[in-house]
Amino acid sequence: MRTYITRRMLQLIPLMLIISFFIFMVLSLTGNSLRSLVAGNPRITPEIIKKLERIYGMDKPLLARYFYWLKAFVMGQWGYSREYHDPVIQLIKSRLPVTLSLMGLSFLLSLIVSIPVGIYSALKQYSFLDYVATALAFFGMAMPIFWFGLMLMLLFGVKLGWLPIGGYSSVGMDTANFFMRSLDHLKYLILPAIALGLQGMASWTRYTRSSMLEVLRQDYVRTARAKGLPERTVIYKHALRNALIPVITLLMLSIPMLFGGAVLTETVFSMFGVGRLLYTAIINSDTFLAMGTLMVLAILVVICNFGADLLYAIADPRIRYS
Amino acid sequence: MSTLRTEVQFTESKPESYLSRVTKRFLKHKLAIIGLISVGSIVIFSFIVPLFFEYGSTFSDFSYLYGSPNSQYLLGTDSMGHDLFTRLMYGGRISLIVGFSAAIIPAIFGIIVGAVAGYYGGLADNILMRITDAFLSVPAFPIYMALAKLMGQGVLNIILVFSFLGWMTNARIVRGMYLSLKENEYTEAAKAIGVSNARIIFRHLLPNTMAPILVSMTLTVGGAILSEAGLSFLGLGVPPSTPTWGNMLTNSQQDIFLAPRLVIWPGIMIFLTVLSFNFIGDGLRDALDPKLYR
Repeated sequence: MRTYITRRMLQLIPLMLIISFFIFMVLSLTGNSLRSLVAGNPRITPEIIKKLERIYGMDKPLLARYFYWLKAFVMGQWGYSREYHDPVIQLIKSRLPVTLSLMGLSFLLSLIVSIPVGIYSALKQYSFLDYVATALAFFGMAMPIFWFGLMLMLLFGVKLGWLPIGGYSSVGMDTANFFMRSLDHLKYLILPAIALGLQGMASWTRYTRSSMLEVLRQDYVRTARAKGLPERTVIYKHALRNALIPVITLLMLSIPMLFGGAVLTETVFSMFGVGRLLYTAIINSDTFLAMGTLMVLAILVVICNFGADLLYAIADPRIRYS
Repeated sequence: MSTLRTEVQFTESKPESYLSRVTKRFLKHKLAIIGLISVGSIVIFSFIVPLFFEYGSTFSDFSYLYGSPNSQYLLGTDSMGHDLFTRLMYGGRISLIVGFSAAIIPAIFGIIVGAVAGYYGGLADNILMRITDAFLSVPAFPIYMALAKLMGQGVLNIILVFSFLGWMTNARIVRGMYLSLKENEYTEAAKAIGVSNARIIFRHLLPNTMAPILVSMTLTVGGAILSEAGLSFLGLGVPPSTPTWGNMLTNSQQDIFLAPRLVIWPGIMIFLTVLSFNFIGDGLRDALDPKLYR
């Protein structure tokens, strides 16, 4: 097990390097932030720009700049945001709770809907409820999440007035205790979390269903039944455990994908999280901020990849010993 | 030789071809037929119906902003006095063009990568597949945003951006199939008579991979339409001068209070189109591979 974990961890280093280099390349192509910064100032001559570029090392080749930046990044120097005039690391830290709670809640929501429904659909294949679940899954997979968010907002926020239509906390809640504050946040999080979780609910249901159907046809399930084990034991002990292995991997790997949806959801519901931060950074060509945010995302990718490998090894002993 | 062939033809009734079996299975799939009819209607709606309408996509009536539906403007007008119905039709063009192109272009690229990796194996396979894995683990949407900003707004740029991160699934499918296909006897035979590698890859092996590629392409269309809508909604996709179902929703946070129908209709169009393509993809998958039928 230990050698397996070490090997997987070592394999994540090149992945991290490839992703970070990719991000660095894309963003350094988006434009020379120094030039655009001083472009409006008529007193700055091309010579001064050249000199400044030399001071900041911007005349060096791309690869050299990348390693220089990587070193600074690892040391925690993520630069300053041009728009907010704050250190990038601080901005991200202050926005992270919003995004993490949004992503966490929608992940949880998709999980508790999709897995039981998927299992039920597989066990009662072609039953009425299976058809309903299939129809709803098609519905969820074809739905643009931001539009679904808008429709939820229209129905529950504007027409019915049950829930707030945007934001993250009510006025005057800053002084309330932690429990009340969380409860208040929850009120704002319900609609965005449903909107963001819809895709997961739909696709994971389908995935669980087909994985379970696959396992139920295996020989060891037939053997378990032939031994005279009660159906409950066969399904929950023998089939389910094996059916969930690929599902776990899918779940872990779709966490980073949730982030893309978070950008849209946070925009629709005017929540100031990291997704929104990334959006404003990209719109304003705020290079350091965009870089920092995307790197946080890259770290999330790597952690989730590692988590998927780890869970896979725990669930399936064959992997550990290979 | 020729007598043998005649004999076979006489003893067995003409065998059903693969294509006709697939078509039969596909036509039995009710949802797929619904999807096909609906996609057909959307194509007619966005490419042919506008020819008979008097307003173009840029027409606006400044005396009738946020106008409610009437006989002149079937679904009313938006904040700029654009006719919503007309813009829905023109928006469909862009969505369909983006959807189809973003399915075809990356598929070609993916096929090439997968074919080279699977056919040659060894070091080429290793390198190409590691790159594919790295690309697969990158969350697409944030990278789309950065790339779209880098390349600027426009339909062509959106297609390029989607192609850049859309080839990996196809590459994996094709590689997997080539690994087993290249072991077949007819590959061996082709090599023995001196057929070039390129010809084996594209003439002899490629047709075998078309079924799963077709399915994956159909399912990609829906995904691309959704991503385009998301990007245009954020103002990073197609510029507002060209209406798309996505950028018609850009002002939705204000419109939802003033005239909810401006928000509802484009979304319904996106939803129906994506749903139809997914139905077709599902039907194709079942028709092409009976093993998966359940």
